[in-house]
Amino acid sequence: MATATGTNAGATVERGQLPGGLTRPPAPPKGLPAPLGWIEQLTGMTLLTLQTMRAAVSPPYNWGGEFIEQCWLVTKRAFIPLMFCTLVFSYGAPGVTGGSILATLATTDRLGAFAVMASVRELATWINGMVIAGVAGTAICADLGARKVRDELDALAVLGTDLIKTLIVPRFFALGLMTVVFNYWNTAISLVGQLIANMTVWQESAAGYLSTFSSNFTIAEVAFNTLKVLTFGFIIAVVCCYKGMNAKGGAAGVGRAVNQAVVVSFCAVYVYNYLLNSLLLGAFPETSTLR
Amino acid sequence: MEAGVQPSPYEPRRRRPTRPSGLERFANGFVDPVRNILVEAGQIAAFGFRAIIELPGVLRYSAEMLRQVALLITGSALVLWAMQFTFGLTCGNESVYVLRGYGASSYAGVFSALCPIREATPFMFAYMVGAKIGCGYVAEIGSMRINEEIDAMESLGLNPMRYLIGTRLLANILVSLPIFVVGLVLFYVGEVFVILFQIGEISRGAWESVHWAFTDGPSIIFSYLKTLVMWIAIVIASMYYGYTARGGPVGVGEATARSMVVALMLTMVLNEGFTFFFWGVDPKLPVGG
Repeated sequence: MATATGTNAGATVERGQLPGGLTRPPAPPKGLPAPLGWIEQLTGMTLLTLQTMRAAVSPPYNWGGEFIEQCWLVTKRAFIPLMFCTLVFSYGAPGVTGGSILATLATTDRLGAFAVMASVRELATWINGMVIAGVAGTAICADLGARKVRDELDALAVLGTDLIKTLIVPRFFALGLMTVVFNYWNTAISLVGQLIANMTVWQESAAGYLSTFSSNFTIAEVAFNTLKVLTFGFIIAVVCCYKGMNAKGGAAGVGRAVNQAVVVSFCAVYVYNYLLNSLLLGAFPETSTLR
Repeated sequence: MEAGVQPSPYEPRRRRPTRPSGLERFANGFVDPVRNILVEAGQIAAFGFRAIIELPGVLRYSAEMLRQVALLITGSALVLWAMQFTFGLTCGNESVYVLRGYGASSYAGVFSALCPIREATPFMFAYMVGAKIGCGYVAEIGSMRINEEIDAMESLGLNPMRYLIGTRLLANILVSLPIFVVGLVLFYVGEVFVILFQIGEISRGAWESVHWAFTDGPSIIFSYLKTLVMWIAIVIASMYYGYTARGGPVGVGEATARSMVVALMLTMVLNEGFTFFFWGVDPKLPVGG
């Protein structure tokens, strides 16, 4: 082993340096082979989460202004797409197609009970997660990635700024908070979308819809709903910040980072959604009975 | 017009730019976003039609097109299929629990048959095409635009609309059917896993007979058409944002984020529009008389 680490630097030419003193453009970044790369990224994201949490609880608490600004940016970007997507989708998928399943069973008057499943448990949460990831997460990732490839993040670090505290912590908590806030709004909107389908397409009364909805709406659903979207927000924040902070390779690198961040966030949202719903339905059997 | 009213030719007409009144600004606040959206939609549509017109010329670059097909199969198909499987798990979960609530456990097959074909498969494909393929194209074509590779291509006499856009569009159209079929199969595999093995509340025979009775051929073809139209629309919109990217690395990042918003909107509108167009409010289910 001793011979392998011998220093013979004088004989070799530095990488990227041609013999005539010319410089060659740097080679495109080459990561680890695929499975190792995945493990590296997962570890990096976990590490970033832990660092963020530690930075959040340690003084000085100087990230409040940035936190409010990020909350406002998320609201500004995601509000209209989220409302639009949820209204249209809840009218179509659970309202019309779900209604045709209930029409098969001749119980379209129970569409309100279907809405508990469709909106509160499934649709509102993952549309929320996807729109926040697709609109706010991409913007955060593009912002951080552009700063990274222009070496602004390194410059900030040289100036003695704690990057985790000034950049990541506010985004982490802003996405977590705004995902939860939007989720309640989103759930309400999706209920309205289904109510419209209920009244216009299936010709049922709004009172029947509301009464079957309210008699099936349990606290376990709300608790799991909140827990789920809170975790969605944190997952999206960590993935997008990690990918943005580790962007490399110019303009193409920023685009690639945003692309990967969206894909990883979407996959994480869906896998986590399935796991937590299985847990909810298994652990609280009363959520799957109709009253 | 009277001569005396006309201004003297040596005195240029000075009209100070008037500030818009409060009411005008209020109105513009509502009108401008709508106008911007319409302008952008028109530009995307023009770009899309131009790409479709260029499609016959793409055959000259069939090698590049096949390379794009290969990239799609190796790079994106796995993610699309994995998400189909995951959504199949979710759908199977809900089909058992919801139909149990209605006291019709043995009819879980109704939900599990309608969910993938009418809504979930096209919806999931459109979302993941926007995220994986669309964002990838924005990043790739956008960085080509930033690095002036597209201008270089034009100056070499190579039509970028054909070589870059047309080849990718045709590759996506070609690859959509096999990916859709395998994705649908994986969706069913996910549902089978949950309904028959994880929960195991209804018998295999009961589920299979109901599920396949409610799955019909025309619906699968409609589902594929729905997926294809959404796929093409989203890919065209993302390539538009890549093709018109400007402003360095920040511009590419912003274009990627913007294309994602447009993809989300297109997914929703087209998905629900086609649900009505193909199936409407008539359930078209083999129940009753």
